[in-house]
Amino acid sequence: MKQNSNYRLDIIPGLGIALIALIYLLMVPGIQTFTGMGSTPLTNHFVPYLWGGALLVLGLYVAIRGFRKRAAFVKAGGRIEKFDFKTAVNEKAEVIASFVALTVYVALMNAVGFVPMTIVYLFFQILILTPKHEWKKAYIPALIIGVICSVVLYYVFRYHLNVLLPQGILKAFGL
Amino acid sequence: MIFEGLFAAIQPMTILLIAIGTIVGIIFGSIPGLTATMAIVMFLPVTYSMTASQGISMLMALYIGGISGGLISAILLNIPGTPSSVATCFDGKPLADKGEAGKALGTGVVFSFIGTMIGVGLLILLTPVLCNVALKFQAYEYCALAIFSLSMVIALTGHDMPKGLISAVLGALLATVGLAPIDSKPRFTFGMFQLNNGFALLVLLIGLFAISEVMKYAEEVRKEQKYIVNETAKIKGCGFTLKEGIAQIPNAIVSAFIGVAIGILPGIGGGVSCMISYTVSKNLSKHPELYGTGIMDGVVASETANNGTIGGAMIPLLALGIPGDACTAMLLGGLQVHNVAPGPLIYTKSGAVVYAIFFSMMISAVFMMIFMLIGMRLFVAVLKVPKNYLLPVVIVLCGIGAIGNANMVFDTYCMVAFGLMSYLLIKSKVPTVPMILGFILGPMFEENLRRVSQLASSDKFYTHPIFMVLLFATIIVVIFSVRSNRREAMLVAAGEKEEEEVE
Repeated sequence: MKQNSNYRLDIIPGLGIALIALIYLLMVPGIQTFTGMGSTPLTNHFVPYLWGGALLVLGLYVAIRGFRKRAAFVKAGGRIEKFDFKTAVNEKAEVIASFVALTVYVALMNAVGFVPMTIVYLFFQILILTPKHEWKKAYIPALIIGVICSVVLYYVFRYHLNVLLPQGILKAFGL
Repeated sequence: MIFEGLFAAIQPMTILLIAIGTIVGIIFGSIPGLTATMAIVMFLPVTYSMTASQGISMLMALYIGGISGGLISAILLNIPGTPSSVATCFDGKPLADKGEAGKALGTGVVFSFIGTMIGVGLLILLTPVLCNVALKFQAYEYCALAIFSLSMVIALTGHDMPKGLISAVLGALLATVGLAPIDSKPRFTFGMFQLNNGFALLVLLIGLFAISEVMKYAEEVRKEQKYIVNETAKIKGCGFTLKEGIAQIPNAIVSAFIGVAIGILPGIGGGVSCMISYTVSKNLSKHPELYGTGIMDGVVASETANNGTIGGAMIPLLALGIPGDACTAMLLGGLQVHNVAPGPLIYTKSGAVVYAIFFSMMISAVFMMIFMLIGMRLFVAVLKVPKNYLLPVVIVLCGIGAIGNANMVFDTYCMVAFGLMSYLLIKSKVPTVPMILGFILGPMFEENLRRVSQLASSDKFYTHPIFMVLLFATIIVVIFSVRSNRREAMLVAAGEKEEEEVE
């Protein structure tokens, strides 16, 4: 069982990394080079090729290692379990929800503004990190923390620490 | 310069900031899941409008407090608050279980102080020496230094070397985004002006270490987590007798030196130093069989070493601009924000700030000892703060830190992307610390390699002894690391096989 998941930890990342390296390597020829006076014998393509090539080799090595582990596992009589996407998503629901909340938060921050988006984000993120059976108790503290934190942080950072936090809709009120 | 630095460090405002930084650092260090790195990320935007001395002093205080605070949960919960306190659990918890929690905490606190002071002492002595050596560095030497430091990645990747290397190369790859060194031609910017300067180190660090921590906590939401905190812990005086303390001095000195030495090596942090120091202390002891049963020696070895690492990790950071661990990488971001350029000329260009850093580290170490000895009850109570309320606020502060770095909301998008990448890498068992090294050393390597390619016809490599020594050191490091990694991999494989057979 342990070995079963072990090979997956090599095959999937290995192939993913190899794919990233391949895309990266394909983009290298598109980089403009400087060939005038003072140019270096090694152009600005050399190091990207070096890193991209190294990453491709490492990714493929890890993937092949994973396939070998898988073959050894099967040979030893192990049963390959089918990857259940639904269960995996369900198991990581809080993580996925956290990433979605964070992505929405930063994506809308510029347009809507730091204060409203932070209130919404903190409220939902606190609930996501709270076990479901405790949600009833968490609504009000989450809202209070959201409002107080966003207003205090906005005021302190924008007006005292010179961090240009997005005003968004607050601009209409001159805040 | 020394007096200027001292004057900057003893300003009432700076002292107040050091005190706040130390307390917050201890709190972050003591709560499992929150680290000194996160504390520094969180407070970095707060320092933007401060003077360089004030801001960096506060960050140093957070670092020292964060590393030291880890001992509280290690002793009282048997969960290390930070990776630096892993070995503190081995004897700290058994001591607490024997009803001597006060002694364990007192020992940890006092010897953390001693470790920090020895580390700072060596930092003050060794940084100028290294700066003087580094002044002789030219393109050849910097190129070899980058290769040597990158070779350390192999040493710190443990049994899975390819995955450690993937992380380092990914870091170097990310660093190629932006204007290329020397000819300033844009690479991988996709026409976005925000990417012309490349990704900010700070933004990458926030994604790697702060966002992923929150996601790791999110994974645990459904699991019942109830910590049993030993709330009866009281420290009388230092918790141990003078005789007991004096008997530990040789152990403390050896451990502090191990901590400093490991801190100097790029990428290897307090987590490794405390383990090595604990093992060395056990091997040198007349009673090794008592280790793990709850004796002072184990706590002394671990806590002195991890705090010694702080001073050690600062040496290459200040003298060469190469961070020793994740915290110092974050401090590198802090130094950059405050226009302090680490490197051999740091004493000439920002001497007063460097001395202010030294003095603030000493002040912070004193505060750490006083606060932890007097206010232990408060820090124990903090262990019960619900993280589901705390972590989202940390994320918001991280977002502010990312925006404040260059006053661009775009950096928050990068922060989320790096957070996702970090989470996926962690799930794939790819370590993330080597990535920082790759990210920092990649541009240094490229710039100097290209310079070397220009110089090679007129300036032969064999006329550069430092270059040759560094390359030789690289070969030695690679051979020894590969051998040790293989041994470790074989042990892991044997362990797995044994487990399967039992199943």
